[in-house]
Amino acid sequence: MNIGGYNGRRRKYVRGQYTGVIREFDAKTPGVRAMQIFIYVLCGIIALICIFPIIWVFLAGFKDLREFMSSTSILPRSFDFSRYVYTWERLRIYNNYLNSLYVVAVSVISALIFNGLMAYGLAILKPKGYKVLNALVMLSMLIPSTISIVPLFVNIQHLDMGGFFLPLWLAAGANTFFVVLFRQFFESFPKSIIEASRIDGCSSLQIFSKIILPLSKPICVVVAIYAINGAWSDFLLPYLVLNGTKFETVMVRLYTYSTQQTATADNMMRSVVFSMIPPIILFFIFQKKLTTNIITSGIKE
Amino acid sequence: MTDMKRRLSNRSKLRQNAAAWMIMAPSIALFAFFIWVPLLQSVVMSLFETTNITLDKFVGFANYADIFQNPLFGKALVNTLMYTFWSLVIGFLTPIFMALVISEAPRWRGFFRTAAYLPNILPALAAVLLWSAFFSGEESGAINSILALFGAEPTSFLDKSWLVIPLIVLISTWKGAGATALIYMAGLSGINPELYDAAAIDGAGVFRRLRHITLPSIFNLGSTLMILQIIAIFQILYEPMVLTHGGPDNSTLSLMLLMWRYITGGDMDYGKASATGVLIALILLGFTVIYNILNKRKSDSV
Repeated sequence: MNIGGYNGRRRKYVRGQYTGVIREFDAKTPGVRAMQIFIYVLCGIIALICIFPIIWVFLAGFKDLREFMSSTSILPRSFDFSRYVYTWERLRIYNNYLNSLYVVAVSVISALIFNGLMAYGLAILKPKGYKVLNALVMLSMLIPSTISIVPLFVNIQHLDMGGFFLPLWLAAGANTFFVVLFRQFFESFPKSIIEASRIDGCSSLQIFSKIILPLSKPICVVVAIYAINGAWSDFLLPYLVLNGTKFETVMVRLYTYSTQQTATADNMMRSVVFSMIPPIILFFIFQKKLTTNIITSGIKE
Repeated sequence: MTDMKRRLSNRSKLRQNAAAWMIMAPSIALFAFFIWVPLLQSVVMSLFETTNITLDKFVGFANYADIFQNPLFGKALVNTLMYTFWSLVIGFLTPIFMALVISEAPRWRGFFRTAAYLPNILPALAAVLLWSAFFSGEESGAINSILALFGAEPTSFLDKSWLVIPLIVLISTWKGAGATALIYMAGLSGINPELYDAAAIDGAGVFRRLRHITLPSIFNLGSTLMILQIIAIFQILYEPMVLTHGGPDNSTLSLMLLMWRYITGGDMDYGKASATGVLIALILLGFTVIYNILNKRKSDSV
C-alpha cells in the first residue's frame, strides 16, 4: 500500500505528489501557488516546534550551572562532553541504565509471548466460550487502567513481589493494545493453512510455534518496538514497586532526583537527556515502521 | 471444511478446546492479576476503612462521603474539567490542523510526518521535566530568552494560576498531537482524489472542497478521537505532579493527582484513593455512554 503518498520511486518526480485537497492543476494558479508556499511555511513551523525543545535540552546539557542560569543564549559556550560524563558518573545513571535495560529485555519477551498466545487463542483457536474472554479483554480498554494501580500495588506487596523487577516483567504480558495488534494480524491468516496442519497432526502449540510465529515477524517487530518504549518510559508502577531500592529504573531515578533538594538544574537537564537517548535511537532505527503502522492500525479501529 | 468437521470426533474437539484454554491460561492469569482483579478490588476497597494495605472494617460509602466533603475534591473536579475544556480547545484542533497542512505539502511529507511524531516517543516524565526548564521563570528559561529578544521582562509562567492549566495542556498537546495527526492523515489519504477532481470540474475552489469533502469525511474519526482524548486528559497526572505539584494554591490539582496524594501522602489512605479512582472511572464511563448515545442518534438520523 502506498501510505500517505510516500513512495521511494516517485521521489524524483519534481512537482511532488498531490493527494490532498489541492490538485496538481490547481498549483498552476498564482493564488494556489502562494497558498502552497504558506503551507510549507506552516509545515516548517510545526516541525520546528516539535524538534526545537529536544535540541534545546541537548544543548542545555553542555552548559554548567552558572551558564545555564544566566546565559540567555541557546548555544552553549563550549561543547564540553565531560559535563555529561560527570553527571553520568555522579548520579550513577549507569546503574539505572542497567536496571532499565534488564526490565526492557525481559518485558519485551513477556509481551510477545503472553499477548501473542492470548491473541492466538482469541483469533485462531476460538475455543468454546472465547467470546466472554474477548469481551473482558476489550472491556479493559474502556476502563482507565490507572484506576486499578492502588489495589495492584497492594497485591504485589501481599505477594512479597515488591522491590524487584518481576511485577514489571509480568505486567508487560497483560497489554490489551498488544493483544489487539496481534489479533488483527492473526485474523488475516488463511484458515486452510491451520486446518491442513491440524490434519497433518500438529498440536495447537506446534501450530503456533511452527506456522504462526515464523509468519508473524512483522507484527512481532511492531509489538517489540512499542514494548521496548513502553517498558523504558513507564513510571507509575516502577515507582511504586522499586522506589528506594537499588533496582530503580531510569524513569524512577529521574523523578526521585527531580524531587531532591540537592538537585541542580544542569544535572537535571543532563539526566533528562540520558533518559531520552534510547527512545530516540529506537525511533530513528524504526522510524518508518512506527509512523506507518500507527496509520494502518488507526484505520482499522 | 464440512468434511473436516465430520472427521473430528466430539472427543478430539473437546481436547482441542481444553488445549486452547491451557495455552491461554498463563495470559489469562496475567490479565486477571494486573487488570481485572485490581479493578474489582478497587471497588471493594473503596468501601472499607484501611490502614496501610489491610482492610479494617466495612464502612459503606463513608469514604465517598469523606471525599465529597474534602474541599480539595471539588477543586480537583473543577480543575479536571478545566483541563478537559482546554484540551478540547487546544488539543483537539491542533492535530486536525497539522494533518490537513502536512497532507497538502506535495514534497517532504515524510520528513514533516516524522518530525511531528518525534515528541511522541519521548518518555512522558522526561518531556514534562524538559518543559519545566523551558518555562522556567529565570531569565535563562528558554521561553523567557526568546521573549527577551522582543524586549519582554522575564515572567514566571508556572506561578500564574490562570495560565498554568492551558500551559500544561499545551505541553501534553506538544507530546501527543503528532500521533493523533498521523491517524487523521491516514483518514485523509483514504479520501478518493477523484471526488476532489469532480468537485473542481464543477467549479469548487480549494476551500469549498475542504469544507464539503475533506472535513465531512474525517468527522467520524474526529468524534472517536475526541472521546479518547477526553478519557486521556481526564486522567492527567504526570504533568501537574512534576511541573507544579498541583500548585500554585492547588490550581492545577487534578483528580488523579488527588488520588496519588492519598497513596503517597502522609496518611496512605488506600480506601479513599480507591474511592477516588472509582469516581474517575464512573465519570469516564458516563462520558462514554453519552458519546455512544449521541453517536447512535446521529447514525439513526442519517
